[in-house]
Amino acid sequence: MATEERTQEILEKLKNAVIEYDEDAAKEGAQEALDEGVKPNDAIFDGLVSGMQEVGKLFEAEEYFVPELLMCADALYAGLDILKPHVEQLDLGVKGSVVIGTVEGDVHDIGKNIVKMMFDVAGFNVYDLGRDVPLDQFVEEQLKTDSELVCLSAMMTTTMVGMQKVIEDLKKKNPDVKIMIGGAPVSGDIAEKWGADGYADDATNALADAINMVSSLKKMKEEAEAREKQK
Amino acid sequence: METMTSRERVLKLFKGEPTDRPVCFSGMGNATTEGLNKLGYKFAHVHLDAQQMAETAVTTPQLFGFDSCVLPFDLCVEAEAIGAQINTYPNSDDLLYPTIKEKVIHNEEEMEITIPEDLVTRGRIPLVKEAIGIARKTIGETVAIGSYLLGPFTLAGQIMELNDLLKLSFKKPDKVGKLLADLTCVIVAVAKEYEAAGVDYLTVREMGATSDVLSPRVFKSLILPHLKNIFEQLRVPSVLHICGKTNNIIVPMVESGATAISVDQKNDVVDTRKKLGDDALIFGNYDPYNVLVSGNPELVKETMRKCLEDGVSAVWPGCDIWPTVPPENFKAMMETMNG
Repeated sequence: MATEERTQEILEKLKNAVIEYDEDAAKEGAQEALDEGVKPNDAIFDGLVSGMQEVGKLFEAEEYFVPELLMCADALYAGLDILKPHVEQLDLGVKGSVVIGTVEGDVHDIGKNIVKMMFDVAGFNVYDLGRDVPLDQFVEEQLKTDSELVCLSAMMTTTMVGMQKVIEDLKKKNPDVKIMIGGAPVSGDIAEKWGADGYADDATNALADAINMVSSLKKMKEEAEAREKQK
Repeated sequence: METMTSRERVLKLFKGEPTDRPVCFSGMGNATTEGLNKLGYKFAHVHLDAQQMAETAVTTPQLFGFDSCVLPFDLCVEAEAIGAQINTYPNSDDLLYPTIKEKVIHNEEEMEITIPEDLVTRGRIPLVKEAIGIARKTIGETVAIGSYLLGPFTLAGQIMELNDLLKLSFKKPDKVGKLLADLTCVIVAVAKEYEAAGVDYLTVREMGATSDVLSPRVFKSLILPHLKNIFEQLRVPSVLHICGKTNNIIVPMVESGATAISVDQKNDVVDTRKKLGDDALIFGNYDPYNVLVSGNPELVKETMRKCLEDGVSAVWPGCDIWPTVPPENFKAMMETMNG
């Protein structure tokens, strides 16, 4: 077991690797965490995700833009790929699976991938349909996988309108499913009008929403751990 | 009272001369379902037939009194001529714009591209030229005819993965710069063809360079020099369009040398006007979907008045006009121009 001090050092290394988009350092940090007995869950949430939270702040402050964000995400995945096989599933009180994709006619998937990353971190089962996805496929995949959440993305005004149809179909077949829509042309008004449960209109908001989601998971993780300890 | 034709109005606007009423036009696609239905054409097909493309484009000024006729309607023409494959969604009943199905560059190693010698005879460039000619014959000298090209960075995003392009802009700026220089040659060559076919103005759409995506620093160092190069070589009046957040790149946008700049609803035009002074040509900046398509005529009128009050030089949409625009909204927009 690593000492408290050494653990902090490894977590800090993972965090900085994400912020400084250093894939090699992220891999190294992840391997050190495993070798030296840092809990993989801590390494993910207190290392990689903490780094991404900082990246979110830099993005909001317009110090970082999308290219930096993509490189930070690469570093996060480099660490996550090593840590993930060793994660013990904690009972966080949420069971997650999500269908995600960019709607037909739209070949932009950066926003979608950023959101997907956070679902991956949070340990959701992610059914990624990719981009330019025929509308029926969202409905089929949701039914097939019984996912609680469907995320639809469109970058262009010219493709956004397709989402309305998917939302209608999904709600008709499964009124309980939660639907998030995202993309540059999307607004709160549109989300409400079309019956979506949430929206993100740019990468900042997508990232902020995704980080909020993971931050609350992080809190739930701490609570779950506290409960474990009490037993 | 209208005392000028649409074309006179647009040409005077570009020269900085007064017009009889505010100009209401666009440099981006504006095919309407109303027009398509009148003609009995399917949207997926008008991209592939010069006659249908021209007829569809002229319905917008004809039906609504819009000050311009713009063609083509999609963003794949240049990429296709370079060698990308497009999907027009021929079997879909929804309104879908063509997209790139197969990119030209699949990895960093393939970034050294060779521009085909016969570029301007490839893909749909001859078709668009022919359509410009047909449109001119159909509407004569009364309506301004415009066309558009992608900016080099946005075009690069069409022929390679945007994901890779964005990261390489950081990791290998020299390689990206070389690609943008090659694409600049493509853009100028195609622009010359459209000029020869008789367009009155050209819009360069550099959406990929918005500050939603890219830092102003990278915009200035990596992209601006190529835009300058393009605008230097155009003969007809030109517009640089960038959507999304643009307030912090508005000055370099003007430095590009375009005759006018175009911004969307995310731009604070009051601030932009203050920064650029009275003489700058600023086109914008209504939301073509949330206002023109899903709003009602009152919202449309209110929005158009706001654009003018904020200080736009011409009322112009933030993106392509979505085809299902209700005719009463289009009419309301044009009515606002007459006070």
